[in-house]
Amino acid sequence: MPIVRMQEVTKTFGSTVAVDRVDLDLVAGEVHALVGENGAGKSTLMRVLAGFFADYAGRITIDGRPVRIGHPRQARALGIALVHQELSLVPALSVAENIFLGREPYSRVPGFVSRRAAEDGARRLCADLGISLDPAAKVDRLSVAERQLVEIVKGVAANPRVLILDEPTSSLTYQEIRELFRVITSLAGRGRAIVYISHKLDEVFTVADHVTVLRDGRRVATEPVARWTEASLVHAMVGRDLSALFPRSVATPGEIRLEVRDLGRRRAFRQVSFEVRGGEVVGLYGLIGSGRSALAEAIFGLAPADTGEIRVDGHRVTIRSPADAIRHGIALTPEDRRLRGLIPMLSLRTNLSLRALRALCRAGFVDHERERAAVGRLMDALAIKAAVQTVEVSILSGGTQQKVVIGRWLMAPPRILILDEPTRGIDVGAKAEVHAIIDRLAAEGMAVLLVSSELPEILGMSDRILVMKAGGIAGEFLRAEATEEGIMAVAAGVAAAGRAQA
Amino acid sequence: MKTGTGEHGARVRRAVAAADQDEARPTAPARRLLLKFAAALRDYGIYFALAGLVGYFSIAVPQFRSADNGLLILLQVSVIGIISIGMTFTILTAGIDLSVGSLLAMAGMMSGVFAQREPTILNVGLAFALPIVVGLVGGALNGLVIAGAGVNPLIVTLGTLTAYRGFVVWYRVNPIYDLQPYYRVIGQGALGPFPIPVLILLLMAVAAGVVLNHTRFGRYVYVVGGNPEAARAAGINVPLMTWSVYVISGFCVGLAALIFTSRLMAAQAISGQGFELQAIAAAVVGGASLFGGRGKISKTIVGALIMGVLFNGLVMLNVPAPIQQMAIGVIIIAAVWLDGILRQRR
Repeated sequence: MPIVRMQEVTKTFGSTVAVDRVDLDLVAGEVHALVGENGAGKSTLMRVLAGFFADYAGRITIDGRPVRIGHPRQARALGIALVHQELSLVPALSVAENIFLGREPYSRVPGFVSRRAAEDGARRLCADLGISLDPAAKVDRLSVAERQLVEIVKGVAANPRVLILDEPTSSLTYQEIRELFRVITSLAGRGRAIVYISHKLDEVFTVADHVTVLRDGRRVATEPVARWTEASLVHAMVGRDLSALFPRSVATPGEIRLEVRDLGRRRAFRQVSFEVRGGEVVGLYGLIGSGRSALAEAIFGLAPADTGEIRVDGHRVTIRSPADAIRHGIALTPEDRRLRGLIPMLSLRTNLSLRALRALCRAGFVDHERERAAVGRLMDALAIKAAVQTVEVSILSGGTQQKVVIGRWLMAPPRILILDEPTRGIDVGAKAEVHAIIDRLAAEGMAVLLVSSELPEILGMSDRILVMKAGGIAGEFLRAEATEEGIMAVAAGVAAAGRAQA
Repeated sequence: MKTGTGEHGARVRRAVAAADQDEARPTAPARRLLLKFAAALRDYGIYFALAGLVGYFSIAVPQFRSADNGLLILLQVSVIGIISIGMTFTILTAGIDLSVGSLLAMAGMMSGVFAQREPTILNVGLAFALPIVVGLVGGALNGLVIAGAGVNPLIVTLGTLTAYRGFVVWYRVNPIYDLQPYYRVIGQGALGPFPIPVLILLLMAVAAGVVLNHTRFGRYVYVVGGNPEAARAAGINVPLMTWSVYVISGFCVGLAALIFTSRLMAAQAISGQGFELQAIAAAVVGGASLFGGRGKISKTIVGALIMGVLFNGLVMLNVPAPIQQMAIGVIIIAAVWLDGILRQRR
């Protein structure tokens, strides 16, 4: 008998049905993967189970007993723990304090909490899960990956019977993901039911026992993992076949557009040299902390380099700020589109026209007619779907938002485009579309530097691949000779494979 | 349904939008109408509120209805209205200007000193120009510390609120009453039936609205307030933009100081106390977000009018001053609360 049985569960927001009569069984000892595109209803379904929405319809039974889960506290009491997709830690508190937030162990003095008891408890939990974290460390000192691990420990700390992990690997490195899978498998082995929400298919095939696919709020299918193939899973998620996820056409590189010589910034990267030609997509791969994003930010002037030189079309340029970089025809789409890309409360139109506004103005006054037309053309070209241009950009899906962040630069096209994690957190369909845009831009002669931590993307889209490790370029591969294993070996420092940098 | 604010609210909205994009499932017409009504209330609610207040007082107090009283309200609102225009600029960038009251006293005093002297060309010129210059300098100084040194605007203008007040008290502790008669033209003059302060308010509101809605500068104000990191990454000179909104606020204060001093025909070191709160209240009641990126001049003006109408109407109803204050305080909170609720229903 399953621990949790959800029947005909429905959740609406206003006029919109986010989850539509979904059935789901969660069995002890099993990892159940929940996959689907963004907006498919995965997170909403699990938030219903975790008690976030009291106004759901349908039945939930736990151990055969019908329950009505109306509050997160009740869900916790029933043994259901949700590890959030977006980090929900208190940065000013320590690891231990965060883990025991709301359930602080008391000291003998009434009304006081015992820091020592919390830290001991946290240390035991970490040891149990094979995670090395300092319980006394303040969370704001931790890396994003470490914070993710704290979230997971926090979820496990309540000793739940059902543990829901909502996209737990979005900010983890390859090594950390493997650690996490070990933890998940061991928890399942101890009789927990695990729900694993993800849209990374390779992870699903590695860790899951059962896979349920949601699309548009409805359940498409639930099958044992062995019955799925990558193609059938994608088909179920998207509702159509994706001919090519990586539509990179044959490149015809032109002149050298961007040239970087001995570039360095203290404590981030050093002695980096490479060049990107017009019409070429150069992939930049590295694990978290390898300096790949720092390098991209230095070229764009967000955090300027302090040694070395940057040349654009053969001329040496000084880049101290993004404004300098833009003047020299360099653009960057940031890794974190919400932090550095979007202006969430402003309209789609304002977000898209921002970069080209100067060209759309006459004597400082915005020519609204031209702006509307230019934005319309761009939306057509990038297949940005929205009812009206004035829609607030924050309510669009992740994939659409990413297209907005990229599209902003294309209204006044740069000569060099740096894309930092252009498909992080967006669904398969939107991913393919972004890749097609990248391919088209390169075909039009743009020099593209593609920074990514997703190996399939790097392999599928790049003409050349640079691998960074510990702040330097550790290897370089041509498209033909690159393999996942070869790149990983260099990035993780196992082997000095690939063509060594001259 | 309580969706909360921030991350969670945003996530819910995203989920809704994602589903919206596919195909909106048919809804009961009644419910759709209700949602439409909520949207209209969100976008135009403040106008309804103003109309409702005017309607109520018109029925409750006969003398409220007169055209003269209407102009009186506008006249009473003009000083705070003009200040709140500048305040809206700072609030749009997620900043604030608490120093407006003190700066008004400083600018008014400088004006008064010369308005008291023989009406030579120089003195008249200085009486009219100095408040503007003082306002601009005071605002520029605020902006310099905020944008240049990167100190929190709340702290900086809290500091200058005290410092500017200290300066003007030190400079001239005694009020100046005997201003030259010509000086009353700005505050007490009229063009036809329209008092000059009201015309200045109107002119400023229209100009500010045009700047914010139709110029690149205005667009950048919203962008800098909405996401300064994204603004910088788009090549916008964020410190320059930040500095300039405090200059604009200072300019508005200078203009308001001229009107205020001229209307009272007196310059006092204690003028303008609490004006900062009234101006912030006008912007916030008008739906401006203190987190930046959201707000409109037209609604700020309506926000100022709502408080002006309330004040005027309550006086006519013979409501004691302390009760008036309590009522206005409650209304400010209720307006912002209601705005937040309506914003989530979409």
